[in-house]
Amino acid sequence: MPELVEVRTEGMVLNMGPQHPSTHGVLRLLLRLDGEVIKSCTPVIGYLHRGMEKLAEHRTYVQYPAIIDRFEYLTAMFTGVLYAMCAERIAGIEVPPRAIWMRTLMLELNRIASHLFWLGTYLLDLGANGLLFYAMRDRELILNLFEEVCGARLLYSYACVGGVRFDNPPSFERHVREFLKIFLDRIRDYESIVTENPVFLERVQEVGCYSPELALQYAVSGPPLRSTGIRKDLRKDQPYLAYDQVDFAVPIGTKGDTLDRYLLRMAEMRESLKIVEQCLDRLPDGNIRVKLPNVVKIPAGEAYLALESPRGEVGAYMVANGTDKCYRLKLRCPSFNHVQFLPVILLGERISDVMAIFGSLDVILPEVDR
Amino acid sequence: MNLLQSLLNLPEPLMGAIGALLITLGMLPVAAMLVLWERIFLGKLTQRPGPNRVGPRGLLQTIADALKLLTKEDFTPKDADRILFFLAPLIFIVPSFLVFAVVPFGHFGGTHGPVLIADLRTGIFFMVAVFSLHTVGILMAGWASNNKYSLLGGIRGVAQAISYELPLIFSFLGILILSGSMSTVDIIKAQGGGLHNWFFLAQPVAFLVYLACSVAEVNRVPFDIPEAESELVSGFNTEYSGMRFAMFFLAEYVSLFATAAIATIVFLGGWLAPFPEPAVITGSTLGYFFWSAGWFLLKVFTLVTLAMWVRGTLPRLRADQLMDFAWKFLVPVVLVNLFVTGLLALWGRWAVAGGLWLALLLWALYGQSRAAKAERRQVVY
Amino acid sequence: MGLETLFGQSYLTTRIDAVLNWARENSLFPMPFGTACCAIEFMGLVSAAFDLARFGAEVVRFSPRQSDLLMVMGTISYKQAPILKRIHEQMPEPKWVLCMGVCACSGGFYNNYCTVQGIDEIIPVDIYVAGCPPRPEGLLEAIMRLQKERVEKQSVLGSAG
Repeated sequence: MPELVEVRTEGMVLNMGPQHPSTHGVLRLLLRLDGEVIKSCTPVIGYLHRGMEKLAEHRTYVQYPAIIDRFEYLTAMFTGVLYAMCAERIAGIEVPPRAIWMRTLMLELNRIASHLFWLGTYLLDLGANGLLFYAMRDRELILNLFEEVCGARLLYSYACVGGVRFDNPPSFERHVREFLKIFLDRIRDYESIVTENPVFLERVQEVGCYSPELALQYAVSGPPLRSTGIRKDLRKDQPYLAYDQVDFAVPIGTKGDTLDRYLLRMAEMRESLKIVEQCLDRLPDGNIRVKLPNVVKIPAGEAYLALESPRGEVGAYMVANGTDKCYRLKLRCPSFNHVQFLPVILLGERISDVMAIFGSLDVILPEVDR
Repeated sequence: MNLLQSLLNLPEPLMGAIGALLITLGMLPVAAMLVLWERIFLGKLTQRPGPNRVGPRGLLQTIADALKLLTKEDFTPKDADRILFFLAPLIFIVPSFLVFAVVPFGHFGGTHGPVLIADLRTGIFFMVAVFSLHTVGILMAGWASNNKYSLLGGIRGVAQAISYELPLIFSFLGILILSGSMSTVDIIKAQGGGLHNWFFLAQPVAFLVYLACSVAEVNRVPFDIPEAESELVSGFNTEYSGMRFAMFFLAEYVSLFATAAIATIVFLGGWLAPFPEPAVITGSTLGYFFWSAGWFLLKVFTLVTLAMWVRGTLPRLRADQLMDFAWKFLVPVVLVNLFVTGLLALWGRWAVAGGLWLALLLWALYGQSRAAKAERRQVVY
Repeated sequence: MGLETLFGQSYLTTRIDAVLNWARENSLFPMPFGTACCAIEFMGLVSAAFDLARFGAEVVRFSPRQSDLLMVMGTISYKQAPILKRIHEQMPEPKWVLCMGVCACSGGFYNNYCTVQGIDEIIPVDIYVAGCPPRPEGLLEAIMRLQKERVEKQSVLGSAG
C-alpha cells in the first residue's frame, strides 16, 4: 500500500476593494480564504475620509448644512435635519409646527428613496440586473418631488436652523398623493418579482444570521437590529419631530437573517407611505422657519440628538461656544458599527455571501469614513 | 451540403473546409445580432429605449463595439503565463464554432438531404464532447492571468462545468432511446409529422433539465458564477482586454446560439414545421431550404430570447447551491427519467410521454404542497 | 506605425481615422470609479429615466482592462489617490477620463488635509463636469461632448488622445 501523503494547502488573501463593484465605493475587505470559505475578514476604512467633523468647526451654522448633506448622501434630509435640530436644541429655538411636519414628511419620503436604492443595488449585488432599473425608476418619482421643493435631486440643503428653507409649491400635495397611489402598486410588483423568487429566497434564507445579543454588543441599529426581533426604533422610543402624533407600526423580524432584513425594509416602506399620507393630511399652515438674524449665533452649550435613519441610529453631538460656528461636532453613524460587525458575521461564510450579507446591512461608506 | 456537393463535385475535405469557412463567417454577424438583440430586449424589459443612436435605430451598435475592441491595446499582465494567456481565448472560442459542424440548419427537400457539414453517426455525442472543451479555456484563462479573481472564476467554472455536463448528457439519453440514433439528422427525422411528434412532448423532464444545464454551460445568469460581476469583478476574463476580451464576448453569444440550436434539434424538431408540411413546399428545393431554415432559426431565436429573459429576471445562485442543484436534484431526476424511458420504450412513445407528463405533474403538485407547507415568512408588527 | 510613412496624410489614412473614431466614440465602455455622491447620480444615469445605453456606453465594465472611459465620481482622498492612478494605468489605450463633480475636479469645499485638490494632479483628465453632484443631464452632455471633441479629433496613426 502506498504511503499516504498529506497534501499541503495554502490559504489565500484576497483584497476585496477598495475599487470593487460591490463594496459600494471605497471599503476594502481583507479576506483570508480557504477555497471559497472566509477564515478571517479585516475591513480597512478611511478611503473616503473628507474631514467632515473638522469642517464643522470652520463653517458657520448657515454654511454647514450644505456640507453635512454630503455626509450621508442617500439620506441627505436626515443629516441636515439632525444638524439643525442640534443647534435648535442648544439655542432653545422653537420651530414652527409647519416646519416640523414638513421635515417629517421629507424624512419619510427620503427613507423610501433610500430603501428603494438599497433594493436595486442589493439585487444587483446578488446578480439580478433587472430590478435595479425598476427600483431606480420609482426612486426618480421621489427625486422629482424633492426637486419640486428644493431644486436638487440628491443633496437638498433643505433643513436650516430654525425651520426649513423652502416652502412647498402649490402642486406638491397633489404630486405626493399621486406618488402614494402609484407606489403602493409598485411595492406589490416588487414583492411578486422578488419575494416569491425561488432563487432569491435560496440566496437569502438562513444567510448571515446573528443573535440579538451579538447585535446589541456591537451596537447594531436600524433594520439589521430589528431583524433579530428587537423592537428598537427611535421614532417610537424617543419621538422627535411629529412622530408621536402619527400612527405607524415598527415591524420586526424573527430570525435575524438576510431575508428578514429584506422583508423589514419592504414593510418599512409601506409604513413610511402611511406616515407621508398622515403628514399631508395634517400639514398645518404658518411660517416655515423662525426669523433669525443673518449671522446665526448659538449660545454656549451642548446637545446630543439621534434620529432613526434608514440605516439605523444616526446621532450628532454638538458643542457650541456662543459664536457662529460650533466648537465641535461628533457624528455617530450606524454604518460604522455595521462595518465593525462584519468580521464577526462573515466568518465561515462564502465569498458569494459577502455580497449578500454586506449588502443586507445597507452600509454606506462616507458615513463610515466621514 | 449534399446538394451542393453533388453540384460542385468537390472532394469531401475541401467541402468540409468550405463549410467551416461559411460557419465561421456566418456566425460572426449572428453573434453581433444576438448581442444587439439582447441589449434592446433587456432595455425594453427594464423600460429603457436601449441603444438607438449608432446607425439607423442603433443597428450598428455591435459593429462599433467590435471595431473598437479590435483596435484596443492588447495587454498581457506582467506576471501572466504568456502562452496560456494567449491560448485561453482561442480554446474558449473554437468549440463554440465546432459544434456547428453537425448542426443541420435546414433541408433542401426531397432526397437532396439536409444543410449540414458532416452527418456524423455520433452527432450528439460529438456536440457534447466538443462543447465541454470550453472549460479548459476558462481554467487556462483563470490560471494564466495571475489574478486571484480570475483564478477563483476559473476554478468555479470547472466545478460548474463538471457538475452540469452530467445531467446534460443524461438528458439526451432518453432521446437516443426514442430515436435509436445519435445522428442529428436522424433525430430530427424521427420527429417528423407534426408538433405532436416533437421530443419535448415525449421527454418533458429531459427538456427542462437540458434548458437549465445549457444556461449553466454558457455561464449565464443564474449560473454565471465564473464571471459573477458583483463578486469577482469580471471573473476569469478580468485581465483580458481588447481583441482577446472580444473573443470571450463573442464566444459567449456563439455558444448561446449553439446551445439553443442543440435544443432545437433534439427537442423541437429541428427544421421541421409544427404541422405536416404541404407537398408544394417540400417539392421545391430552394423553397424548402428557406422554409426549413426559417423554422429552425425561429425556434433557436425563441430559445435564445428565453435565456435573455431569464437573465433579466433571476439573481445568481451561490456556488455551493449550484452544485447541490446539479448533483442532488438534476442528476437523480434525469436518471429516473432515463429509467422510466427505458422501461416504457417497449410500449410505445405515447406511454412514455404520458408517464413522464404524469410524473412531472405529480412532482409539481408535490412542490406546490411543500411550498404551501413552508409558509411564507412575514415580518411581525 | 508604418502606415503613415507608406501613405502619408492621404485619403486612406483619414478614412481609417474616421471609421475607427466612429467606432470608439460610439462604444465607450465606462469604468465607474465611484467614491461618493456622484456615483449615485451615475446610477441614475444608467437607469431607466436617462438611459446611458442609448449612446452605446451601456456596458459598464468593472475591470479596468476592458473599459475605455474612466469616470471618476466623487471625492478622492490622499488614501484613495494611488488606487486611482493605478486603475488609470491599468486601462489599455486608447482611454479617456471623465471627471465628475466638483470634488474630483478641484477638491470642492473639501479644501482640507485629506482631499486631493483635483484629480488632474494625478492623472490626465479629458472632460470636467461641474456640479455637486452634476445632474444626469449634465453627465450626458459631458459624454456627448467627449465623443465629439475628444474622441473624434484624435488620429489613430498619430499619438492617441
